[in-house]
Amino acid sequence: MHKALLAAACLALSSLPALAQEVVLGAVVPLSGASATLGDDQRRGIELAVDKINEQGGVLGGKKLRVIVEDSGGRAPSALDAAKKLVTVDNVPVVIGEYSSGITIPVGQYLVQEGRVHLNIGSSSGKIRGLGDGSFSLIGLDNVSSGFAAQDVVDNKWKKAAVIVPNNAYGQGVAEQFQKAFSALGGEVVTTVMYTEGQTTYRRELQQMERSEPDVYVYSAYGKEAATINRESFELGINSTPWYAIYLSMCTSDADPKFVQGQYGLDLNYIGPDGAAYEAAYKAKYNEPFKTSFNGYGYDAVMMAAAAIEKAGSAAPKAISAALKEIGNGYKGATGDITFDADRQRSKQPYLKLKIEDGVQQR
Amino acid sequence: MFEFLIHVAIMACLYGLLSLSLNLQVGFGGLVNFGQVILFGCGTYGAAIAFSHQLGPVAGIALGIVFAVVVAAAFARLGRNLGADYWGIATLAVAEVLRILANNEAWLTGGAQGISGIPLLFGDMPRPMGPLMTLGLCLVLLLAAWWLCQRLTTSRYGLALKLMREEPQLAASLGYDLAALKTQTLMVAAVLAAASGFVFAHYITFVGPDQLVSSETFLIWAMVIIGGSGNHLGAIVGAILMQFLFAFVPFVKDALGLPSEYVAAMRLTLVGGGLLAFLMWRTQGLIPERIGGKQNG
Repeated sequence: MHKALLAAACLALSSLPALAQEVVLGAVVPLSGASATLGDDQRRGIELAVDKINEQGGVLGGKKLRVIVEDSGGRAPSALDAAKKLVTVDNVPVVIGEYSSGITIPVGQYLVQEGRVHLNIGSSSGKIRGLGDGSFSLIGLDNVSSGFAAQDVVDNKWKKAAVIVPNNAYGQGVAEQFQKAFSALGGEVVTTVMYTEGQTTYRRELQQMERSEPDVYVYSAYGKEAATINRESFELGINSTPWYAIYLSMCTSDADPKFVQGQYGLDLNYIGPDGAAYEAAYKAKYNEPFKTSFNGYGYDAVMMAAAAIEKAGSAAPKAISAALKEIGNGYKGATGDITFDADRQRSKQPYLKLKIEDGVQQR
Repeated sequence: MFEFLIHVAIMACLYGLLSLSLNLQVGFGGLVNFGQVILFGCGTYGAAIAFSHQLGPVAGIALGIVFAVVVAAAFARLGRNLGADYWGIATLAVAEVLRILANNEAWLTGGAQGISGIPLLFGDMPRPMGPLMTLGLCLVLLLAAWWLCQRLTTSRYGLALKLMREEPQLAASLGYDLAALKTQTLMVAAVLAAASGFVFAHYITFVGPDQLVSSETFLIWAMVIIGGSGNHLGAIVGAILMQFLFAFVPFVKDALGLPSEYVAAMRLTLVGGGLLAFLMWRTQGLIPERIGGKQNG
């Protein structure tokens, strides 16, 4: 253990001279564990932003920007190890992350308590709102996407909705917020099904929903499970009733096109002024279209942090936090306009209204 | 760096408690508990539920211990008619059922969104006193647990436990009540795990069902096996070693300029590969069990 300490101490010392010529930020994302695919995609977005900023000459008069990306392993204890390392050893002013709200909340609480800036890029739980000054959300919390979906469903004259979402923090948040927004608009949620992730079949759940005779099925599901749900709804013939997807690309990316023909949905907007260039850069670097809808938030987080550092003329957490509040008013990000409300949350998001009609079409 | 070391030491102590607890069950009593994480979860949810009902930390630890003892009693009751390996599977199943309950009973547990904002134990103190006090508390708990385990296992009671592990029929024929032995061992172990969970909840400030997935149980198993099953010091050393290795892998990455994905891969290799290596070449672990002698554990 002494050797480890010694080695660590040497490392800390040896990295000091480098700090003077660069501005270092931190990120904690899941690179292993159940959410590793998403976390790796978040890392891609961060990487692209760092490349872009350094190409344009860095920050604060030519200093290079560097983001230390740490793995959370999808576990709160490891995520906290990583966050504490970033704060107490690397002394970064800003930490970006995580994906699961069960990890983002403790990490965010720790950062706020340490007086650092926290940028949430992946969790949509309503509890994020209460983290306190210094914590910003670049992703709309579940009330934003669910509220938009409820309005869109009502606009399509559907009155009775059956909802199916995964039984985790994300799904429970979406179900609760959708129910709230939809009832307020005069609709009625006739069934809510919370499915267990990783099942091989969802027929029982689908048949239970069918019995409630809804006008529309509202769902949000991850790749593989979404593919199963779509295939089985086709086989059971219940896809003759309209389906509405919250995050359409996430729900339909792994599905056979004939199973999802005619589906409605919302998705993130990548058509902002920065969006098209970003999408092209992503494709050029990784040779594939967006793997998930989450990489753009990582990109925007780094871009906004860099802009805030420039504006503040300093990399001190307090100055960055104050500058972020000013910038976060109609900021043109890759994921569309970013405007923070009084609680530093992204209160509106310009989602796209989509429909699948021989490929994804904008409505 | 200093504060980071305090953090790693706190986590190492909390895992040390869990590892001692599992070692008492597996290493001494031969009770193959694959549901260890839920005993820890009793402690975390005890703290969280007390907090969400404005009952304060004393009620939290009491609630955690009550939960843990009840679950331990259920585990022991299950074990009455099952062989060791079947019992292990049953404990895994019970732990999963309880995790799913925590995920769904939102009125009590906050559901998948968990319970957040649990206060730090010494949050009012200026830094670095607060974290240092937490570390002090963890050290006291760990030492007390170690002393308790040592007392238990060096007495005649400990010999009975070992006899139950090696030759259950012989132990029964000598008049030992195996069911009672199992129940008592599980309850003591459960209290240790719940204490760890209670401090963990107040340290991380968040409790949720994702903290109770079964892979966490196997992490504790790896600590016991690498440290040395059947030796209290071994269990503690295993926990401390694993926690420090985990926490310092990112520094190796920074020093060698490796991409972040390597950290993830390196951690998995450390747990899986380390476990395999010890199982194949050094089954007794780093600090082996000592046989015979009253003073040896």
